[in-house]
Amino acid sequence: MNVNLTIDGVPVSVPKGTWLVEAAKTVQQEIPVYCYHTKLGPAGLCRVCLVEIEGMPKLQIACNTPAAEGMVVRTRGARVEAGRAMILELLLVNHPLDCPICDKGGECDLQDYAMAYARGNSDVVDPKTRKPKAVDLGPTIVLDEERCVVCQRCVRFDDIIADERQLVVKDRGAHDIIATATGSPYRHNFTGNVTELCPVGALTSKTYRFKSRPWDLNRTQTSCTQCAVGCQQFADVRYGTLLRTMSVENDDAISDGWLCDRGRYNIGFYTSPDRLTQPLYRKGGSFVQIGWDDAFALWGKAITDAIAAKGTASVGAIGGGRLTNEEAYVLQYLFRKIGVANLDWRSGPQRQATPGAKGGALADIEQAQAIVIAGESIEERAPVLWLRVRKAALRGGARIVRVATPAEAVAALPAGATRVALVWDGIDLARGRAFADAFAGVAELSTYVASEQGNARGAEAMGMLPWSGPGYVAARARGRDAAGMFQGARDGSLAVLSMFGVNPVRNAADGAAVAQALGKVPFVVVSELFLTETADRATLVLPAKGAFEKTGTTMNLAGDLLPVNAAMQAPDGVLSDLEMLLGLAAQLDVDVPRAEELDATVIERAAHAPEDFGFGDARFASDVASVPESVPAKILSGGGTWQHDPTLATLQAEAPFSQPAGATA
Amino acid sequence: MPVTKVLTAGIGEADLRDIDVYRERGGYRQWERAVRELKPVDVLDLAEKSGLRGRGGAGFPTGKKWSFLPAEKPLRYLVCNCDEAEPGTFKDHMLIEEAPHLVLEGILLGSYGIACHHAFIYIRGEFKRGYEIFCAALDQARNAGYVGDNLFGSGFDLEVTVQRGAGAYICGEETGLLNSLEGKRGEPRLKPPFPAIEGLYGMPTLVNNVETLAYLVPILEKGAEWFASVGTERSKGYKIVSVSGHVQRPGNSEVALGTTVREIIDLAGGLRPGRNLMAVQPGGGSSACIFEEQLDLPYDYENMAKAGSMLGSGAFVVFDDSTDFVKAAHNLVRFFAHESCGQCTPCREGGHWLERVLERLVYGRGVSGDYEMLLRVSGGITGLNLCALGDSIEPFLKSVVLRFPEQFRARVLKAKETVPV
Repeated sequence: MNVNLTIDGVPVSVPKGTWLVEAAKTVQQEIPVYCYHTKLGPAGLCRVCLVEIEGMPKLQIACNTPAAEGMVVRTRGARVEAGRAMILELLLVNHPLDCPICDKGGECDLQDYAMAYARGNSDVVDPKTRKPKAVDLGPTIVLDEERCVVCQRCVRFDDIIADERQLVVKDRGAHDIIATATGSPYRHNFTGNVTELCPVGALTSKTYRFKSRPWDLNRTQTSCTQCAVGCQQFADVRYGTLLRTMSVENDDAISDGWLCDRGRYNIGFYTSPDRLTQPLYRKGGSFVQIGWDDAFALWGKAITDAIAAKGTASVGAIGGGRLTNEEAYVLQYLFRKIGVANLDWRSGPQRQATPGAKGGALADIEQAQAIVIAGESIEERAPVLWLRVRKAALRGGARIVRVATPAEAVAALPAGATRVALVWDGIDLARGRAFADAFAGVAELSTYVASEQGNARGAEAMGMLPWSGPGYVAARARGRDAAGMFQGARDGSLAVLSMFGVNPVRNAADGAAVAQALGKVPFVVVSELFLTETADRATLVLPAKGAFEKTGTTMNLAGDLLPVNAAMQAPDGVLSDLEMLLGLAAQLDVDVPRAEELDATVIERAAHAPEDFGFGDARFASDVASVPESVPAKILSGGGTWQHDPTLATLQAEAPFSQPAGATA
Repeated sequence: MPVTKVLTAGIGEADLRDIDVYRERGGYRQWERAVRELKPVDVLDLAEKSGLRGRGGAGFPTGKKWSFLPAEKPLRYLVCNCDEAEPGTFKDHMLIEEAPHLVLEGILLGSYGIACHHAFIYIRGEFKRGYEIFCAALDQARNAGYVGDNLFGSGFDLEVTVQRGAGAYICGEETGLLNSLEGKRGEPRLKPPFPAIEGLYGMPTLVNNVETLAYLVPILEKGAEWFASVGTERSKGYKIVSVSGHVQRPGNSEVALGTTVREIIDLAGGLRPGRNLMAVQPGGGSSACIFEEQLDLPYDYENMAKAGSMLGSGAFVVFDDSTDFVKAAHNLVRFFAHESCGQCTPCREGGHWLERVLERLVYGRGVSGDYEMLLRVSGGITGLNLCALGDSIEPFLKSVVLRFPEQFRARVLKAKETVPV
């Protein structure tokens, strides 16, 4: 039901109960706020959103006043401005006014509103209250207590969004400070969001402190590809260097406006000195640097020779989960064109990334009455998805079910539940099938596979599976999957293996066996940003671009096609996987679709949600009988790229960046 | 002298902490009668007809407050507010230490009136002795069958839980109290929702002051008409006034509402010989002063409001001509700044700023502009705050700054340094 009111003389019609601060936005009236935030709701603390309402003797706060029929609201005028000026004057009484050295300068709500609404001078003659500065709040954040306006956005985020309740207000009155309740470091998977929520320069990211001014940053909106949620994010680049990423507040469909610390902070590797910038060719046991022309010639000749000598079954390619859709499409197109059917994206234990017929949208999770998690924790694999699960539980009262067997899961459902979300890790097909079967009778079942690699589902849709081409259409010839290729390597039938953004030596269930197998392949090509464990065993290593350096699309776990936009230039000598594939195609005399031909229609046609399978479909089964008994306990952020970011040194022991025990860096 | 003894009857004469003594004097008879013979609505009706108003500070009509609880929500709570911390108030302190059974019987009657089965009493942390006395009284009452399940065989259950505060004035504000009672930081809640709709643990909750609830006992005993026959037109019954400051016999006096301000001063023994009255703060630290020309006003809710002040909690502070009002103002503003929870900007920053300026004035380090700043900032923050605490800073300060400007101006010694614009 809508109510009609006027705001500054403009008639407005909004749903009953809409806060005035939101109603005013519909007529482009900005009401200043500190404590209010669309995603956090009203708190009534800062008192800056004062408006005048006819018939009410006192000024009212727009954040906690619901729009009512016939209301006459004024967001301007002498009384309102006097009230706001008073609030701003008070906020500045103890504020250190250290804007010249404050990271927030230029995008600070205190600066902006002070310029807009405050008096130009001050009556304060007494010294300001001193509070701790540069407080090391935890591995990610530094806090300046003097700049804090105690809006409690950070405290409320920690409570109602992250469900962590680590941050609290301590002491009272003018001596209020923000701190963790226990005094221990502030750490969880989502800490960085409080630096964005902070309307002033109190909470700042360690990775960005004293690095830039907002007006020096070039901003590009793109998708995070470090996990399969695909959060929209802004990449802020200063003079060619990526300095920070920021959330997109209105990205309700994907990220709900939040970022995890992994997606936010794992960016320093782009400028790491460890980065590969020239193709490497193994000669006499060690690598020599070669040019791209030589690299393409060697690569093309190896494939041509292998096919001539041992047939197309002796050639294979692995990759796609960390490529763009366009790259994955061209990868399978090129190899299938020359008759190679050994294609797979699955370099690790995960078998399936596409949920199939009952795949749900991310927002559906909020409507679920129960969220069943089958397999590995999604907190680790898809952190921002986990935030949505928490939201469903905290606000919608959904029950989170984490049990071992489908029978137990069904028993744990709330009575009469008709809307269930089922999240699976895609690893154990039998387990996935059993859970899907157990819930097949649920009226509104939405299923999700929380993949480890950002574009795993896109890789499947684009045809990087041994049994299907683009759009899950059965391939003319069925090839071997990755495990089958490693098996072939061991028995000497594989001659050339090309790998793109995968590190099976590190991530496969039995990495040592993979390493041994690779040793028996005469020609191994690895496209990578760094000399990973797998690249180190290659014949030819090709330096690749990262996600912020290329353009294309990616597909998240819910099947949304999302843009990948280049935010900066890659280092000289580095090519994208697409550019490499085009170089190889020229050697092999194959015409691959040009970038302009790979328009949305090709990708979109391939990306449709398949209807003919569900969790654990037999086609995803491995060629090699042995089911992995154990999987690495923790996944590697962005394929392990974090290891090359020195600024994350303090973070490396922390949850989102940790590595499995015994792994080599 | 118009001194009366209703709630204060027997205090100082008999050990009312002993349940047998209390019962000998008629104690718990109204409770038993209510449960056996009356319906909850009858008690509510008596409260309404008596004209009883909240004795904690706001003076809201008690019966009306009870009627705000939504009928369709049977799970509800009563909370007795014994976090008495208003500067100058010490009536609840006395009641809980000297007449704990009377307080408890009032809580029981109030709970019955709103048909709730769980009542809480939140006792100021500093009242440790009162807490111990009340707990002992509650034990006695429980053993005697006045608290618990199936009371007097009626099937009515009522439990009472005692909770101590941790030393914060703001927890006397009803929503701050509820947060504290729930184990959260003692910060007032954003309203709406009001406690009557969503209070303790999200349930409809009635918060009443100790004295308010205690008056239910004599109202049940003697009738609503008896109570309503005393007092003025809209201020009915009696009030315990805590008189302090420059009087000869400070202490609690129970008076009929409408007794004049001058009579109350006389009840406390009047001023010290040779002293002249300068001001009276009639309703606690949050109230503005009234002055000599207003001494013959009847002490009731309406007349105190009309005089620009309030009756508040009945804390009645007398200032004679030995008073340094700069120091008095500093003392009180310091109190409010210290007790500000810090949630909202005007109270947190405004109180603290005023305190610092007043401190400079106390030590003679005022600068020009200070006098104007006191009025501008204290007035500027009033009406902008989340709860009433921030709005409590201005009244006393403004009343004495305007009445005794020379005391404040005399502290301004040097010209203000130039402040860059």
